[in-house]
Amino acid sequence: MLEIADLSVSYGKHRAVDNVALTVAQSEIVVILGANGSGKTSLLKAIGGIQPAASGARIMLAGADLSRLRAHAIVEAGLALVPEGRGIFGELTVRENLMLGAYAKRARAGEAENLDRVLTLFPRLGERLAQAARTMSGGEQQMVAIGRALMSAPDILLLDEPSLGLSPLMCGELFGALTRIRQAGIGVLLVEQNAKRSLAIADRGYLLENGRIVGQGAAASLQKDPAVQRAYLGVAQSAV
Amino acid sequence: MFVEALLTGITLGGMYALVAMGLTLQYGVARIMNLSYGEILVAAAFAVFWLFTVAGFNPLIGMAMVAPAALVINWVIYRILLLPLVRRAKTRDALEVDSILATFGLLFVVQGVMLVLFGGAYYSYSFLAIPVDVFGVTIAANRLLALAFAAVIGLALYIGLTRTRAGTALRAVAVDPVSAQLVAIDVRAAAAIAFALGGGLVAAGGVLVSMFLTFNANIGVVFTMKALIVVIMGGVGNMLGALVAGLILGLTETFVATWIDPGLTLAATYSIFLIILLVRPQGLFGRGGR
Ligand SMILES: Nc1ncnc2c1ncn2[C@@H]1O[C@H](COP(=O)(O)OP(=O)(O)OP(=O)(O)O)[C@@H](O)[C@H]1O
Ligand SMILES: [Mg+2]
Repeated sequence: MLEIADLSVSYGKHRAVDNVALTVAQSEIVVILGANGSGKTSLLKAIGGIQPAASGARIMLAGADLSRLRAHAIVEAGLALVPEGRGIFGELTVRENLMLGAYAKRARAGEAENLDRVLTLFPRLGERLAQAARTMSGGEQQMVAIGRALMSAPDILLLDEPSLGLSPLMCGELFGALTRIRQAGIGVLLVEQNAKRSLAIADRGYLLENGRIVGQGAAASLQKDPAVQRAYLGVAQSAV
Repeated sequence: MFVEALLTGITLGGMYALVAMGLTLQYGVARIMNLSYGEILVAAAFAVFWLFTVAGFNPLIGMAMVAPAALVINWVIYRILLLPLVRRAKTRDALEVDSILATFGLLFVVQGVMLVLFGGAYYSYSFLAIPVDVFGVTIAANRLLALAFAAVIGLALYIGLTRTRAGTALRAVAVDPVSAQLVAIDVRAAAAIAFALGGGLVAAGGVLVSMFLTFNANIGVVFTMKALIVVIMGGVGNMLGALVAGLILGLTETFVATWIDPGLTLAATYSIFLIILLVRPQGLFGRGGR
């Protein structure tokens, strides 16, 4: 279980994330919806340790405090981040990317099974193991990024707009993979602009506006919420 | 005549390649532009000279002592002198500038110590100066030995970097240090290791060079320059690029010195450098990768 409280991120005077609190349990998909610039990326980066958070933040994973750890140690503690823009090693092959995913000590023992699981989840990667990652299609690169994160045997997986730039077909494949990742017991924290699709697979959701959580609830009830429909689902207001 | 120049050029080029591999590790992985790089080479040459002529250790045994010592010393230099700069630097570009200044200072410290100990005179020693017949030309055994060692060390490094997880992790830091953290790589520790490895390599290069070239306390900067040229020609962070560019440089210098004029070697070096940069600004093999 990932528990976050009082998490803030500032760039100079600009407060991009403001006192955010949220939780993600195992076997659960939680989606964060927010407009451009609402602080979604900053929030995920701060949790992953690649963007400093303001002091006083609480980031707990299974009872361990992650807030003071450096990014590499956070992965070691069981939290993996697939960043905005994927962050794969383009010059390296798919196989090398996946092998580096299991660089964490926690991932070494189960490496072979994890690789099997990733290649079952994304069979296309198995056909392209020797290919340089940057020569893959956008959707395939996203699979490399998620596969690499799964290779670290995470308890919690964070994903920053994985569907960005993907075709509807590829999107469907990706979200299908996320539900299977949930089945494996992993907690998924998903940042998305594609509200319709993400709410359809998520268990719960949070609404982020100007760095603040302004709403939360079960995915099914968020889907029906008129404010959410207006802001994120593009449903026209009906004249009453 | 041609075969002789070819062998000499390949030997020299092999030294350049080996030395450049170390620099490309330090710069590519640790983002330290090490201006004192050649001083480590000269210090290793002096160390092995002293071990051989005073203490009576064969230069190969000397290398087995000097290279690991250089590795440790460079690790300590990174932790003490450079890590504060790494902590302070906001971006990798800022670190590059800071590291140039810091290692420029280090250059004078190391050089000063060597000048005090050995003065400015040229040194050499005679080790395996036995003529050997290769394809009808005679070449000193020490050159062949140096070439063989450079080849073995370079190959071991290449295999280590491309075929092992730890080596792949170092390359990952070179191509994307932010993402490297996301796969649990401690980037600072990796940088310290790469810097130390580079120091060990250049020290090994210094020992090999000292077997067949004369050296003095001031020539470090020449090797730094040439290593830099080879690194840029081959593509930053690229081991195969360093090998090819090193050989090109060694062969060019030797051919120009043999058939045109020894005074023109430096001009030839820079001409090739400029031509490659004009045609392929990213270097022969581009950035990163292998
Ligand atoms: N490195 C930075 N320096 C200064 N300001 C930043 C930086 N990164 C983000 N910001 C600002 O912080 C705010 C939140 O940015 P962030 O990238 O977290 O938003 P986002 O919700 O991920 O947006 P998008 O949907 O476009 O990806 C924005 O106003 C942005 O301009
Ligand atoms: Mg974003």
